[in-house]
Amino acid sequence: MKLKNTFSLGLIFFLFSNYVFLDKEVNVYTSRHYDSDAKLYEDFTKESGIKVNIISARGKALIERLRSEGENSPADILITVDSGNLWKVQDYGLFRSIKSSLINSVVPKNYRGENDEWIALAKRARVIFYNKNKYSYEDLKKLSYEDLDSREWQNKLAIRSSNNLYNQSLVASLISRYGEKYTENWAKGLVKNFARKPQGNDRAQIIAVANNEADLAIANSYYLGLMLSGKKGEKQLSAGKKVNILFPSQEKNGAHINISGAGILKSAKNYENAIKFLEFMISEKAQKHLVENTYEYPINSKVKPSPLIAQFGLKFKEDSIKVSEFGKYNSAALKLMDRVGWQ
Amino acid sequence: MNEDKCLIIKDLSFGYQKQEEILLDANLSLNNGEILGIIGASGIGKSSLLRLIAGLEKPFSGEIFYFNKHLNSKSVFVPPHKRGIGLVIQDKGLFPHLNVMDNVKFGISGTKKEKIDKAMHYLKLLKAEQFKFSMPNNLSGGEQQRVAIARALATEPKLVLLDEPFSSLDINLRSSLRTETKALFKKTKTSCVLVSHDLDDVTHFCDRVLRLENKKMVEFID
Amino acid sequence: MALPKISQLLIKFTIILFFGFFLIPIFFVLLSLLGEYNNNWTHLIDYVLTDYIFNSILLITGVSLVSLIFGVGSAWFISNYDFLGKGWLEWALVLPLAVPPYILAYAFTGLFDAYGTANELFRLLFNISDNYVFFPNVRNIYGAIIVFSFTLYPYVYLTTRMAFINQSRTIIESGKILGLDNKSIFFRLAIPMARPAIIAGLALIIMETLSDFGAVEHFAIPTFTVGIYRTWFGMYDLGTAMQLSSLLLIFVGFFLILEKFERNKLSYSLASSTFKKFKKENLEGWKNFATFFFCFFPLLVGFLIPILEITNWAINFSSDNFFSETFINSLFNTIILGLIAGVICTFFAFVFNFLKRFDNGFILNGISTFISLGYAVPGLVLAVGIIQFFSLLDKGIFGPYLGIALTGSIVGLLLAYIIKAYALANNSIESGYERIDRTIDYVALSLKTNKVRIFFKIHFPLLKTSILTGMLLVISEVIKELPATLILRPFNFDTLAVTTYIYAAEERMFEAASPAIMIVLIGLIPIFFLTRIIRDSRPGNK
Repeated sequence: MKLKNTFSLGLIFFLFSNYVFLDKEVNVYTSRHYDSDAKLYEDFTKESGIKVNIISARGKALIERLRSEGENSPADILITVDSGNLWKVQDYGLFRSIKSSLINSVVPKNYRGENDEWIALAKRARVIFYNKNKYSYEDLKKLSYEDLDSREWQNKLAIRSSNNLYNQSLVASLISRYGEKYTENWAKGLVKNFARKPQGNDRAQIIAVANNEADLAIANSYYLGLMLSGKKGEKQLSAGKKVNILFPSQEKNGAHINISGAGILKSAKNYENAIKFLEFMISEKAQKHLVENTYEYPINSKVKPSPLIAQFGLKFKEDSIKVSEFGKYNSAALKLMDRVGWQ
Repeated sequence: MNEDKCLIIKDLSFGYQKQEEILLDANLSLNNGEILGIIGASGIGKSSLLRLIAGLEKPFSGEIFYFNKHLNSKSVFVPPHKRGIGLVIQDKGLFPHLNVMDNVKFGISGTKKEKIDKAMHYLKLLKAEQFKFSMPNNLSGGEQQRVAIARALATEPKLVLLDEPFSSLDINLRSSLRTETKALFKKTKTSCVLVSHDLDDVTHFCDRVLRLENKKMVEFID
Repeated sequence: MALPKISQLLIKFTIILFFGFFLIPIFFVLLSLLGEYNNNWTHLIDYVLTDYIFNSILLITGVSLVSLIFGVGSAWFISNYDFLGKGWLEWALVLPLAVPPYILAYAFTGLFDAYGTANELFRLLFNISDNYVFFPNVRNIYGAIIVFSFTLYPYVYLTTRMAFINQSRTIIESGKILGLDNKSIFFRLAIPMARPAIIAGLALIIMETLSDFGAVEHFAIPTFTVGIYRTWFGMYDLGTAMQLSSLLLIFVGFFLILEKFERNKLSYSLASSTFKKFKKENLEGWKNFATFFFCFFPLLVGFLIPILEITNWAINFSSDNFFSETFINSLFNTIILGLIAGVICTFFAFVFNFLKRFDNGFILNGISTFISLGYAVPGLVLAVGIIQFFSLLDKGIFGPYLGIALTGSIVGLLLAYIIKAYALANNSIESGYERIDRTIDYVALSLKTNKVRIFFKIHFPLLKTSILTGMLLVISEVIKELPATLILRPFNFDTLAVTTYIYAAEERMFEAASPAIMIVLIGLIPIFFLTRIIRDSRPGNK
């Protein structure tokens, strides 16, 4: 009988263990799947004694779960890549203001929500990659995103599918700046310039340039750092060595920047812990760990990016457009890409 | 009602689809201990009649009495496992996962020993005891049929229904099994309804013969 | 005396209510059809919907064809001929079931991309320059057809092989006497007789292909399911995404009903309970070798190649922390969830089909078809249905009165698995029941035996193989399930599929190798039992 009771208790615990709350903990929903983040959370626990509980899943699915759970949600923090997601959660009214003078002093205003609903944790630039054997910096230094629809680049561009969030954000930023009509014309020209049917991830585009399958690739900056780190094997390392980064639109609006960021939820039951967690995430120590592993750009200006990515230049002009604009125009961007046949 | 009647069927109608009766106001009565044969062409509804008596089908209308007890009427339906009527079907009737002994024991109630004793008793009566541990698939058609009859009798029913029990057997085996089974039924005073399309089976095995024709029972005239 | 009828109705009602619980998440998805249709629909119809539909149809047509050729073909050779390697091919042909389509997709790109293993080897072998790419690109619809066909064909192989074995020798022999050659016997007798079994296996393949997101996303093929996710993720429009899912469900449901209808029309029983041993034709010369190769090919593509490639990753794995703590936990979670879901699914399927055997009514049939439909719901969409349903329960009952929450508990995960995998258990047990002659029930009823006793003493032992097969298929499905697991799981809860995905999503294949290999190895455990069942199921092997 006793055994049976223990067993049923065990089963109940197994089934509902999610809701046995401890005092010192913070519950995080994250769409960042990076293994290196887990190490960071461990460090936070060591430092503060606060346990970090994680559910990682696709950003949109997490948002849907948050919406359905509403006030009952166990989540304190949402971490997600792409500012569009953050904007959407803000739009649903699920975030509350992050009140921390420390955070405000570290994270610049244009990388926070209007009322500090969310903050950026790290930045990435969507840049152009070219083969060093084919072009020199001087050839391309005036190149902007807006120029990529020109006939000059016919069959020369490599870029991934329009399923990709980063592409959607890039198009959304153009819509926000120039309107749909201009952007649609631009995208039409861009698609005509594709060297091949969009396929693979960002690194596949960089490899295509190294491999001379395409002349220019549009991809996120940190992917090159990853390739040069050797973590992806010899071949990718040698492919990475063949290419260079060009920061586009330096004479216009600057390079397109996207973020991964976080916000505290209205339903948060561990608000204080959540603040501590975010303050930790932007601390020099955490930022250093972050950029050394993911090759993103830090949000804390006291921290230098990884040398692997810093070597391509740090003093480039960043597009100052509010990143929340990407979320507003994401749907329009996707439809526009559908219309021009961007697969 | 008549005490020595085993089975009475009154105005029984049945079909698998509405308006398409196989049986229409059929009547039949069976004396206690009597062996009744029903003959008719294939597909005319003989098997359905047995299934109705066994309780595997519900009739459109009509009544069935078993030793003066209502089995079937407008408001009563006794489910098959409570009727205590034995059924033996042409083939495929043995449980393939159980050996002969376990097949015969299946319907018997009592202690373990009582079950074994009773099963052995009936296996002996049907001269099937030598393959009690065989699996049904390893038996010949005649052997399977003996086991099936033993199994039906082992529940000690007052009435056994036989559906073409001899038709898959060769001539020699057929006549010997007929003779032995008939003797056994008489000895145990078991009533029986046998349906067959084979005149030989019916005339050699039965005390009385009816013919199923035009959805009704009619006298059989040889 | 009318009492038994009422109590019977009550029992039936309870059962329906109970099973109805499992339908609610599907209804939550379908409910979207009653909602508003916004102008995203105009966009979908004008620009992309035809593409989505066309690609999906092309995909399922290709997958059906290829898996029919290899599934039915190998089943026929295995059950009628003796040839090189037949003994082990007979069971080895099921092994690809242990490989999830998304892992085969990763393995394929790992092999055949410009810098993939296969191209590297080729360049190394023939000493060709770095830029030469020999193997064709696999990131297209043809690659996807190959990936799905060679991981899923075992469903057809399993059902068809069983049907061929059970086919009465008498009919095949009469065919021969009537002058049919082997080819005509295959096409004019064996295939038409095995049609219900073939279609049952094929239905599973089609449903799984339609609901997949992992592999088609990796290959960037705009199928209908990709369209559902694009609408949701890109247009932030869950409503329209759910409406699209509902259309997919209605489409699949229509075919399931059509299949049932067709099968009922063919209600002749082909089973012969008296197996006769027969001497199989011995193949010699080139025929022997060709047949071997034909049966070996799907095993090679669907199992050996991915295993080799994943092993290649594992060898490159630098850290010594191959079996980390996360990994051990994921392993444990995966096994427990698989077992629980397996037992529940088969139990339901067994009870359901038992009830259907005595009462083939509209309601029971309807519920069963509906739950089977769950197999075709894209995992993430199903998860949303479950989350919405559970949130309502939490707000209404569980939270205020019991102080616990269903959302984010293992219950949600199990519900998702049961809805996703019920079809597998049901298919297996349903076809098992079709092989049990009804006469046996009738005789049992005449032996003073009630239905409960028939359930335990006759159907259960006779269906043991089918029940176990169903359970094993469910377990192997649970091990592979990813999208619903990701979002429904509790805090800090990983399964092997999740661990693989977390690495694979970053294309960190070396780290992904250990959980990926483990998915295949754990998947092999049920498959191993399945292969033993297959070996023992041959007539005359008792």
